[in-house]
Amino acid sequence: MRYYWLGSLFALLVSACSTPAAKQASTPIHIRWARDPETLDPLALSNPSAIDAINLLHLALLQVDFQHNKYAPALAQDFPGVRYEGDSLTLLDYQLREAATWDNGEPVLATDVDFTLKLMHCPGLPNENSRAQYGFIRQVRIDPANPRRFTLVCRSRSAETASISGDFPVLPEAALDPAHTLRSLLLATLQDWPLSRSPAPAVAAVVRRYQQANLARQPHNLPGCGPYRLASWQTNQELHFQRKAHWWADKLPAAPIVLQARPQELVFSVLPDDAAAALALRRHDIDVYPQVPARIFQQLQASQAARQELVFYTHSSYDILTVGFNTRRAALRDRRTRQALSRLFDPVRLLAATQLGQGTRTVGLLPPSSSFYNDSLPLPAYAPAEALALLQQAGWQRGADGHWRQPGLATPLAVVLRYRAEEATFATTGLQFKSAAAQLGIPVTLLPAEGSVTTAALQAGDFDLYIRLIKGSPFGLNFATILHSEAIGSGNFTGFGRPDTDRLLVAISTEGNLARKRQLLRRFQAIIQEEMPVLPLFFLPYRLAATRQLQHIVPSGLKPGYAMTALAWPAAVPPASHP
Amino acid sequence: MLRWLIARLGRAAAAAWLIASLVFIASRLLPGSPEQQALAEAGDLSRPAAGVLSAANQAQNRLALRRRLGLELPLFYVTRSPGPPGRWQWHGTANQYHAWVVALLHGDWGHSYRDGQPVLALLRQALVYSLPLAGAAAGLAVGLALALALYLAQEPGGLLRQVVFTLLSALQVMPLFLLALGLLLLLANPDFINILPAAGQGPADATRWQLAGYWAARAALPLLSLVLAVLPELTLPLVALLRYETRAGYATTARAKGLTAMQILRRHALPNAVLPLLTTLADLLPTLAAGVVVVEVLFALPGNGRLLAEAAAAHDYPLVVGGVLLTAGARLLGLVLADVLYFLLDPRLRPAA
Repeated sequence: MRYYWLGSLFALLVSACSTPAAKQASTPIHIRWARDPETLDPLALSNPSAIDAINLLHLALLQVDFQHNKYAPALAQDFPGVRYEGDSLTLLDYQLREAATWDNGEPVLATDVDFTLKLMHCPGLPNENSRAQYGFIRQVRIDPANPRRFTLVCRSRSAETASISGDFPVLPEAALDPAHTLRSLLLATLQDWPLSRSPAPAVAAVVRRYQQANLARQPHNLPGCGPYRLASWQTNQELHFQRKAHWWADKLPAAPIVLQARPQELVFSVLPDDAAAALALRRHDIDVYPQVPARIFQQLQASQAARQELVFYTHSSYDILTVGFNTRRAALRDRRTRQALSRLFDPVRLLAATQLGQGTRTVGLLPPSSSFYNDSLPLPAYAPAEALALLQQAGWQRGADGHWRQPGLATPLAVVLRYRAEEATFATTGLQFKSAAAQLGIPVTLLPAEGSVTTAALQAGDFDLYIRLIKGSPFGLNFATILHSEAIGSGNFTGFGRPDTDRLLVAISTEGNLARKRQLLRRFQAIIQEEMPVLPLFFLPYRLAATRQLQHIVPSGLKPGYAMTALAWPAAVPPASHP
Repeated sequence: MLRWLIARLGRAAAAAWLIASLVFIASRLLPGSPEQQALAEAGDLSRPAAGVLSAANQAQNRLALRRRLGLELPLFYVTRSPGPPGRWQWHGTANQYHAWVVALLHGDWGHSYRDGQPVLALLRQALVYSLPLAGAAAGLAVGLALALALYLAQEPGGLLRQVVFTLLSALQVMPLFLLALGLLLLLANPDFINILPAAGQGPADATRWQLAGYWAARAALPLLSLVLAVLPELTLPLVALLRYETRAGYATTARAKGLTAMQILRRHALPNAVLPLLTTLADLLPTLAAGVVVVEVLFALPGNGRLLAEAAAAHDYPLVVGGVLLTAGARLLGLVLADVLYFLLDPRLRPAA
């Protein structure tokens, strides 16, 4: 008995280190997160981990169906009916589900949706991102005859307005504004309230109550209507979510996939280092490792023991590796110069070197799987001879000193390439381009820097070329944010934009007829390839590795790269034996 | 002595204040900003609802965020207006620095930009992990360094002594990240040896003692990494000092009296060699502070090093400045303590002497 405690400790360590326990339906599923969510404030939408966590606690009108990569009705009974008013307004008629309730049993009503949208415009709350994203919703018209029916009045004629109008967590009015004081203020009034003016007393009181609730760290202070509750949160270590025993959607006769929540417990382990996370997966400390870097994925797949224990998935994402050209620079003003430089990037070799060849090459900003993809255009390819010819066509002449000069320009052709320092793919791309450009005698200066420094430099136009990842999605075809002349100084870093392209971008976002939209988008892709303000190199893949015992793994090209509420352990599994 | 101590502590506090003030001002003058981090990146196609976010819209959002974080005030009492002609402007007490100082004097270290939590609470939470880790690493490393130095300082020769010496030299040039990763791959790897946990919280149904045992095992790898990283830095100079002392006249006399080599080292050489070791010990804090960042990231420990590294990356100024104030204070206090120990061990060095 003397050494019993030592023996039991050793047994505990050995069991904790090596042997996977038998999985039951109630066994927690451990998932890797690279970073802590930091705040679970439902208005903040601060980082991907926080968005994932908030989606477990709260529900939106429409949620992402990861199986089909599209929105599906969640709190809403169905997709909204679409009507148009005048030249610039879209009216979306929503009906909330009868069964939808908060944790305290109170029904989810249209007034809650109205209240949530108003919260997005209350000063002093961390709502800047929500405000930017949903500022196009100007009014909520509640049906006086039916408290679950309402109309969103949107300042947009975009064809995608309907599907993207409902993806925000709906919050309970009764918990934060029991006296309904915000109802007397119109949403548009709050939106147009000058920053310099002090908020209305009703707004200030709601803001005070919201701040006192400390939702960033204590989300249980606000009833949710999502399937999970936060059981514990050890900052920078672990977040533990437990499924609610009585969740309203369980009563639905045939719950859609967005209202299914299989895991009884979800545990997110914050493991910042990729190599340590891979070892944690091998040691069964975690069961799911999403967004696996290429090198780690390759190492895991190469190990026979890992192949026996794990399953691997690769799915094309909507994130595009792009090169941008500063069209305002004198040397890059001629599109032939930009085309010439684009021929010095080698997407094929870069794909092999950085992504194990698993990404998808593309002619433009749309994925080849899209029905709007222009397959008549050639894929960008490494072609130094073409680059040489294009440079000469643009009037560049190589001098005796080896430098390229253009009449009228004082300085020879030289390129400053900016990118975020922490991305290995960007560094490899930069080095490949520098080496290819050196062979033609074009000096390239690589300027890797910290993320926010790079973004600030791009917005200020302090670059010749940049490499960055554009996060895309299948939900909207609105390229105005990066190519419209009005977005110069904001999201349009390249400075590209002409009246005709601006009109085309607006037409694309508002066109409802699919055939005409296809035509417009094919033209758009051709113009971008011709004008070359940006060069899309390839779509990155999402890689996922998971314990083989896990079932219902739905990989997706949308973040987080899988459907977390679909995961489940098999009904009964004998303990696996490992050598 | 007391007057000296008070003056020295006062100077240390002033120096810590100065360092924190410099970091406060410098962090806000750096390119990049907290709003750049907090606001969703412009030029992102995954949020098509945003429409054309014009520069004016973005400026409006940025202003709202700056106001919420208290960044709309001028930075200091005096600032130079941007662009020509660049005149100096006096802002009185309505500035960020003054607000920070006043709050600090009232015990308020500010709130994190990212989650709005009090800085002091965040630092305290993280120190629960970092202090025991760094303290245990320092204690273990000093004990091991003394033992190893006494062993290595004996007559040169012997294969084992040479091997230990070579290993220490190799450890000295090895980056901590590589060392810690090597230990992780060696001792927590199912393909090799898998005897130590390196992530997780321990089994949920474990008793309190089992959990304590689990955390002791969980701390083994980070502790070992830190100890091995600082061991050469402590041991090798001490070996050289001990060898130097054994060549001194008093050591020869002791040897002539019939004392063994170990007796000479422990009774005579070590007390003389230990004084310079105090300076090395005072320098240990920055090494350990840098070391815990690496091990906390690699072994997923929510300590102070990781907290500050992430805060710096996110431009979370209040947390960065709070962390700097804490670290600078500890470092300066360490130097004062080293001086006090000097005076206790060698009365000739006392200020009154």
